[in-house]
Amino acid sequence: MAKLIGGLGTSHVPSIAAAIDKGLAGTDAWKPFFDGYVPAKEWIARAKPDIAVVIFNDHGNSFFLDRVPTFAVGCAEEYRPVDEGWGPRPIPPFEGAADFSWHLIDTLVDSRFDPMICQEIEVDHGLQVPLELFFGRPEAWPVRVVPIFVNVIQYPIPLPSRCYEMGRVLRQAIESWPGDERVVVIGTGGLSHQLQGSRAGFVNPEADRAFLKDIATDPDRLAAMSRERYVEMFGSEGAELMMWLVMRGAMDRDVVVRHTHYFVPASMTGAGMIVMENAATAEEADPVAPSPGPEAPATDPEVQAA
Amino acid sequence: MQIVLLPGLLCDASMWSGQIAALQPHADVVVADFSQLDQIGAMAEAALALRDGPIVAVGHSMGGRVALEMVRRAPERIAKLVLLDTGARPRREGEEATRQVLVDLADRDGMAALAARWLPPMVHEDRIGDAGLMEPLGAMVLRATPEQHRRQIRALLDRPDALPQLGAIRCPTLVMVGRQDRWSPLAQNEEIAAAIPGAELVVIENSGHMAPAEQPAQVTAALLRFLGLPETPADSIPAVPLFDRARSRRGYRINKMAMGLSRPENRAAFLAGEEAYLDRFGLSAEEKRAVMARDWREMVRLGGNLFFILKISAVDPVRITEIGAHQAGMDHDTFLRERLGKR
Repeated sequence: MAKLIGGLGTSHVPSIAAAIDKGLAGTDAWKPFFDGYVPAKEWIARAKPDIAVVIFNDHGNSFFLDRVPTFAVGCAEEYRPVDEGWGPRPIPPFEGAADFSWHLIDTLVDSRFDPMICQEIEVDHGLQVPLELFFGRPEAWPVRVVPIFVNVIQYPIPLPSRCYEMGRVLRQAIESWPGDERVVVIGTGGLSHQLQGSRAGFVNPEADRAFLKDIATDPDRLAAMSRERYVEMFGSEGAELMMWLVMRGAMDRDVVVRHTHYFVPASMTGAGMIVMENAATAEEADPVAPSPGPEAPATDPEVQAA
Repeated sequence: MQIVLLPGLLCDASMWSGQIAALQPHADVVVADFSQLDQIGAMAEAALALRDGPIVAVGHSMGGRVALEMVRRAPERIAKLVLLDTGARPRREGEEATRQVLVDLADRDGMAALAARWLPPMVHEDRIGDAGLMEPLGAMVLRATPEQHRRQIRALLDRPDALPQLGAIRCPTLVMVGRQDRWSPLAQNEEIAAAIPGAELVVIENSGHMAPAEQPAQVTAALLRFLGLPETPADSIPAVPLFDRARSRRGYRINKMAMGLSRPENRAAFLAGEEAYLDRFGLSAEEKRAVMARDWREMVRLGGNLFFILKISAVDPVRITEIGAHQAGMDHDTFLRERLGKR
């Protein structure tokens, strides 16, 4: 049985990548932002995950509007960074965890989630930036990735509650996987930002800070909110925050918050980060102690439908 | 596309407010003013003079008769014709006396008395007590004068017999009528649609004679479809252009063009000859204008999505905050300060 060792949330603003590429991370403008991630990087260095499941959205790079999957799961051996228009970025490709990806796809479909299945696909800043924030710029990434793409651009986008439910199935897949990998789940996107329309530049630090609290303590409320409410509170692009609910849905009800960070504005975005562990299996005392988790639950679709 | 809206007796632009909001993102929309005229022919000339070149004529009731007269006088100018709740036949026997009663009423007791008498039979009988519909209609009648009423009644009584010309109409034609129109009944509009070659008839459900105001959504949807325009409902959240199906369909070409810039050879082509590159994706003249002017607000209005059109800034560098400021209608410093709280 694989083990869920943590749930992470972070913004994936492309300007963060550009700041790293241009060597601006230490400048006055960016240093406070990157400093906030230091404890998270230390946490993940101790936690040593084998697999990172990254929930993000493609931003018109790997998917055009000709085919828009509501949910898609990558099951490739490798994911190359996509050229978003500015040319290739100097980062290594991401090694996949194809076997676990296929198991996740099986589990999802058995549980009545029917994602697009992607054996060959490139990944954009939505996945790149979170990995860079948590792992820096290694020669090779120390973790294998499982990308979950969520359509948060072309309406109708999925319901926040649906994202949350998908997270529960992701948890089942982790716990029913016969390997002993250590898994982190990373929800990405947000926080408040709006890039289009006359409200462009909208940020809502108050709502962002409340979200960073509630994602740990009151996720049911966040999952029950409508898409329209997300747009109103977090801006048209800020609605991508609902992807954090996939991560949160994979966690237990009770979590321990290890780190949070908030910085506004990163470019045009309220940028937030959180590191959580399940309270029942928190490892801080002994980061590599095996934990006696529950037996892997059967993925019975009839039970799931209830 | 130039669209001329032709209002009926005592009506003005307010009659078309639902349609104008939906059409304006896509077309140059103008409403004719017939308040000072007393002949259908003069109204037709006035409407034709509002724009040069081809127009879409959309006439309601008396405005429909004006539209038919415009087609008769200048068929080459009318690209498409839309008739709503109208008629083609000349004055009926005894019509003058019936209409004179209302002319006298307005003269004697004023427009409020006329509105109280005239408006209720014009709408679906279930809507007579509906203040949301009736109050704006009443206010519209009060904006008119007894003199305008008299002039327009004169125009209606002197109207030409348009029935014989219908078979000669060659432009695409849409006829709409409220199913419960008691003034220009369904049968009368069916007769018109049948006589115009290829004309399409759309029946507006749960509507009387004032269909554009009574059932604006139905009328607008039929109009947009007939004109080949995407449906862009008003933003459900103010100032937030959600990327819904209408925007996605509207912006498909412009977004596909921008998506192409992910490839280095396309970036080179864009830089080598921007217009030729845009032509490869079949962009319309207004879409090309918006891109070449780097008019981000206009690109978004035309269905461009920032995630795609942002790639233009990879070829011709501009900061995302400048794109934001442009859309917000602010200079860059003000935008950074007021929206993003910088400095």
